[in-house]
Amino acid sequence: MRGGPLCQFLCLWLCLSCVEAVPMQKIQDDTKVLIKTIITRINGISHMQSVSKYMVTGLDFLPGFQSVLGLSMMNELLETYQKILINLPSRNLMQISNDMENLQHLLQLLASSKGCHFHQAEGLQSLKGSILEASLYSTEVVVLNGLKAFLQTMLRQLEFNPEC
Amino acid sequence: MTCQKFFVALLHWAEFIYVITAFNFSYPITPWRFKLFCMPPNTTHDVVLPPGISKNTSDLNGQYEAAVEAKFNSSGTYFSNFSSKPTVHCCFWSEEDKNCSVHADNIEGKEVVSTVNSAVFQQIGANWNIQCWMKEDLKLFICYMESLFKNSVKNYDLKVHLLYVMPEVLEESPLVPQKGSFQLVQCNCSVHECYECRVPVPTAKLNYTLFMYLKITSAGVIFQSPLMSVQPINIVKPDPPLDLRMEITDSGHLKISWSSPTLLPFQLQYQVKYSENSTTNMRETDEIVSATSLLVGSVLPGSSYEVQVRGKRLDGPGVWSDWSSPLIFTTQDVIYFPPKILTTVGSNVSFHCIYKNENKIVSSKKIVWWMNLAEKIPQSQYNVVGDHVSKVTFPNVNATKPRGKFTYDAVYCCNEHECHHRYAELYVIDVNINISCETDGYLTKMTCRWSTNTIQSLVGSTLQMRYHRSSLYCADVPSIHPTSEPKDCNLQRDGFYECVFQPIFLFSGYTMWIGINHSLGSLASPPMCVVPDSVVKPLPPPSVKAEITVKIGLLKISWEKPIFPENNLQFQIRYGLSGKEVQWKIHEVYDAKSRSASLPVPDLCTVYAAQVRCKRLDGQGYWSNWSSPAYTVVMDVKVPVRGPEFWRMIDENTTKKERNVTLLWKPLMKNDSLCSVRRYVVKHHTSRNGTWSEDVGNHTKFTFLWTEQAHTITVLAVNSIGASLANFNLTFSWPMSKVNIVQSLSAYPLNSSCMILSWTLSPSDYNLMYFILEWKILNEDNEIKWLRIPSSVKKYYIHDHFIPIEKYQFSLYPIFTEGVGKPKTINSFTQDDIEKRQNDSGLYVLVPIIISSSTLLLGTLLISHQRMKKLFWEDVPNPKNCSWAQGLNFQKPETFEHLFIKHTESVTFGPLLLEPETISEDISVDTSWKTKDEKAPTAMVSLLLTTPDLEKGSICITDQCNSADFSEAESTKITCEDESRREPSVKYATLLSSSKSIEIDEEQGLINSSVSKCFSDRNSLSKDSFSNSSWEIETQAFFMLSDQHPNIISPHLTFSEGLDKLLKLEGNFLEENNDEKSVYYLGVTSIKKRESDVFLTDESSVLCPFPAHCLFTGYRILQDSCSHLVENTFNLGTSGQKTFVSYLPQFQTCSTQTQKIMENKMCDLTV
Repeated sequence: MRGGPLCQFLCLWLCLSCVEAVPMQKIQDDTKVLIKTIITRINGISHMQSVSKYMVTGLDFLPGFQSVLGLSMMNELLETYQKILINLPSRNLMQISNDMENLQHLLQLLASSKGCHFHQAEGLQSLKGSILEASLYSTEVVVLNGLKAFLQTMLRQLEFNPEC
Repeated sequence: MTCQKFFVALLHWAEFIYVITAFNFSYPITPWRFKLFCMPPNTTHDVVLPPGISKNTSDLNGQYEAAVEAKFNSSGTYFSNFSSKPTVHCCFWSEEDKNCSVHADNIEGKEVVSTVNSAVFQQIGANWNIQCWMKEDLKLFICYMESLFKNSVKNYDLKVHLLYVMPEVLEESPLVPQKGSFQLVQCNCSVHECYECRVPVPTAKLNYTLFMYLKITSAGVIFQSPLMSVQPINIVKPDPPLDLRMEITDSGHLKISWSSPTLLPFQLQYQVKYSENSTTNMRETDEIVSATSLLVGSVLPGSSYEVQVRGKRLDGPGVWSDWSSPLIFTTQDVIYFPPKILTTVGSNVSFHCIYKNENKIVSSKKIVWWMNLAEKIPQSQYNVVGDHVSKVTFPNVNATKPRGKFTYDAVYCCNEHECHHRYAELYVIDVNINISCETDGYLTKMTCRWSTNTIQSLVGSTLQMRYHRSSLYCADVPSIHPTSEPKDCNLQRDGFYECVFQPIFLFSGYTMWIGINHSLGSLASPPMCVVPDSVVKPLPPPSVKAEITVKIGLLKISWEKPIFPENNLQFQIRYGLSGKEVQWKIHEVYDAKSRSASLPVPDLCTVYAAQVRCKRLDGQGYWSNWSSPAYTVVMDVKVPVRGPEFWRMIDENTTKKERNVTLLWKPLMKNDSLCSVRRYVVKHHTSRNGTWSEDVGNHTKFTFLWTEQAHTITVLAVNSIGASLANFNLTFSWPMSKVNIVQSLSAYPLNSSCMILSWTLSPSDYNLMYFILEWKILNEDNEIKWLRIPSSVKKYYIHDHFIPIEKYQFSLYPIFTEGVGKPKTINSFTQDDIEKRQNDSGLYVLVPIIISSSTLLLGTLLISHQRMKKLFWEDVPNPKNCSWAQGLNFQKPETFEHLFIKHTESVTFGPLLLEPETISEDISVDTSWKTKDEKAPTAMVSLLLTTPDLEKGSICITDQCNSADFSEAESTKITCEDESRREPSVKYATLLSSSKSIEIDEEQGLINSSVSKCFSDRNSLSKDSFSNSSWEIETQAFFMLSDQHPNIISPHLTFSEGLDKLLKLEGNFLEENNDEKSVYYLGVTSIKKRESDVFLTDESSVLCPFPAHCLFTGYRILQDSCSHLVENTFNLGTSGQKTFVSYLPQFQTCSTQTQKIMENKMCDLTV
């Protein structure tokens, strides 16, 4: 159990050692481009183009967030959404899941440049298989809507050079 | 009672101690082989014994019993009596023990163990060899039992069991297990009379003590072994070493190497059994090493080596493995090491060689190297490693070019002048395989392509793409990662392999390379790293539209940004006139936010096609494909640029006061109408009626009645946008119609489709706006044609289809602001042009006549010549009798010059003329020749083309001049004739004097001077040779020409070409009022003889072909009247013939009048 954070740190260090020559401005730009790309991908999914604003209940495992986000919170939310996306069996989401992984690495790179240290996000406990099986469509729509809203907020926050 | 209880307890304790002692006496299994001897019970009955039991048991029974009795009751146990069958006592014996452990049942049914001399059992009883070991996988314990006596005893109901027990807890001194705790394992017979017992052992209990014993049942007799014990870890038997191989090191030693098992938890030691068999040496070696390789000394050519290896635990007890399969390594007479090399382009490789020739190893200093038996390798690449080992190094090797099935370079090690047929093989593979990747416009797929088509050296290798993905970006220097994944690629029709990554990690670094598996090893192409985001080929911009903006008149192209990528993009527009082959123009748009561009185009009323493509603004990635083309629609863009040009036709039949005027105009083209005309409007303005307009519709003709002194007309063009703003006005004014400012008008045809007109104007106070040039075929009532010409122009080219045989009428109207002026009209072409046409038409008649006449003349001359020669030679006195001809050989004169020169040397010229023979009848000197020296020696052709005073030269000005030319065509006729060189050196000269003096114009002088210049050698010869002036005159008379024969040697001029030349002079003649000039042409024919004749006739204006190479090669100039005959022979140019003037006083010529050119006659004075 103690090895988890250590491995994560080592992976991050390895990643940093590989890309230390990459300018920070490029990382910031790539982060924003990737966020926009994911949002466009979500918008491009057919059943995401006309979604009502009705509240869908029973999916309380989705993380809530505030309008002001720090880098650490962004990382946690990204990780949470990433875990949810992995559990969704839709083929549409495979590319988005890969993009999310890239985005998370970019965010960690960005945070490391500011001396931020991320904690490993807690495991997703409440995502139950029964919900996925019974309400796959609802889950996908709600998750992608939530993810899009989160990414849009994150994009705005990145403009203001957020803290840890 | 208490004592009894105590003794009973003591008794049990003693019994317990006994049992413990008995089991502690278990036989420790050795790592090596041991023997089991068994003796039947003390009965001598003849039983059927199992294999391994000796037949002589009964014979030795007494001895056996005695031995048993000697140490009986020494030890015993209770548990062996587990069946009613008779039990045989057995004992173990190994090479280290001399005594045997015996088990026997006592009367109480308890077994006792005693020790007897093993020698006894060797003589009697049943004997087996036994070896036990632990397999290399450390999971199976095996005991192998083999009968020692290979007798023919029938294997009757033989069963072998192994009973074992493994304690649960690891103890240093384990207790003897209880009887019931033993597990039974049946031993199977793997081969004849051999049994194998397998006991599974947990890996965790390798250090535990395993107790066991064997029980062999046969024919109702049980042979039971003593109890055995062993720790499995101490008898591990490894598998034989693998991958045994022999190779020769760079230093020439034989190296034996092998692979060790990887499963064992301890190191091994190895025993190498090695033998060498060569013609000079035989040896065997047995070495124990701990490494997995062994150097066994220098290798010898033509030898055979055999090696085997086995292994055993290095630091503890263990069992030797079996020997590996023997490996035989044979060396040839020439040894290459390594025999084959696989390497990549650019690397350095070396081969070593030992050469044996006739049982003698060649010195390494005598070894030379060859490549492919075709190329000797430079000695600078050799190295001597030892006395017998030579080394060659190939630096920076190039890829091997396959030659048929041979995909390697053959490297030969040779002994000075001979090479052994064996060779080393060098495989150099070009691994520089370029991989190019492209991410699709949806950013979900990256396609990588690579090809090996251009790499021949890869033939025979299998290729596989491998890649490693890093989480973000690429390293600065990509490297092959140890953990990589293969990627399947599909071969495409174009020979490229295509590998698709989908889905992708947009910002991950994909390091890729091509693994090359060759029969000699594996190679890899240089790795390359790609981030999919950096190789995006975007989708083409959608919604591309093109239009010509109304009232602005620009080509506007608009587009939208593709959904991906989200980066800033640059755009490229290409546009052009729509058609089959569009000539594209490119426009760049670097503003990422721009979505349209307006471009100026020359033609607003044409369909344009436009396409747009995009690329990332930072330059990364690729250009997208061009979007589908968008086309403009032709529509009215602006009001017409101008109104139509118009002219009028006036009906002359009406009265002077009222005339019907018909306006004509040409429909506006698209470029002027922008882009269509809906209707035309005629706007009138008179002083009396003011201004009014009439809608004409789409017609281009309109008639109105001209009644007033001045009537101004304006024609407007109207399209959907509005009416034209710039329009032409035409005022019809009676007073102005009498204003004449055009002084002259000339028309010159260039060709049948082009005419040039020039005019001169007189000064005027009126405001001249432009001219209207009107033309039509004379005397025909077909439609007139007209043109508007700017006022500043003095000459104009008209492009029309002119019929040469027709005469045209040209009228030039000056258009003033105040009205239309009086026109200047000419009815035909200029006289020069007419004559020229006539001359040109005569050309086609005269040329055949001249050619036929020349042929006829030539024939006549030949006949005459033969006749004259025959006629006169009879009367010719012997020239050798003449004083001047003394010493001359007339039979073989070298040349006529020599004849003449010798003559002048021996006799002066003066006395020669005093000879009684008459030289010539008449020599007339015309004064006009005096002018010849005053003329500049200008080339004649250039004279024609450049002289401004053509009227003084070859061009006759007036018609009178023409007639005079023909009337005065009396001039000197000069006949030139020569004889063949093969003929006797006699030259006939006829000098005919003209009866009239000749008017020689300046041009003739020019010609004379120019020709004289060309003939400078000849003239100098004449002047040098003759002091008499008559000869000078004679020489010059050759150039006497009549003035109607311009005698200008000029290239062939056709109808148009002649005028082209004239057009170059237009600056002169166009401004010279009406000075019409006649153009004369020289008539020249050439005959491909040494001396060609030129006939100038009355019709010499006929143009004759005059090849340049024929110029000045020779002339015969004939005229109507011939008064002088001067023999002149010219040899000019490049003919290479020599110039000579022959003179024979014995022969004289008389003049003959020739009335026609074709009737030239040659007369002899003697006739």
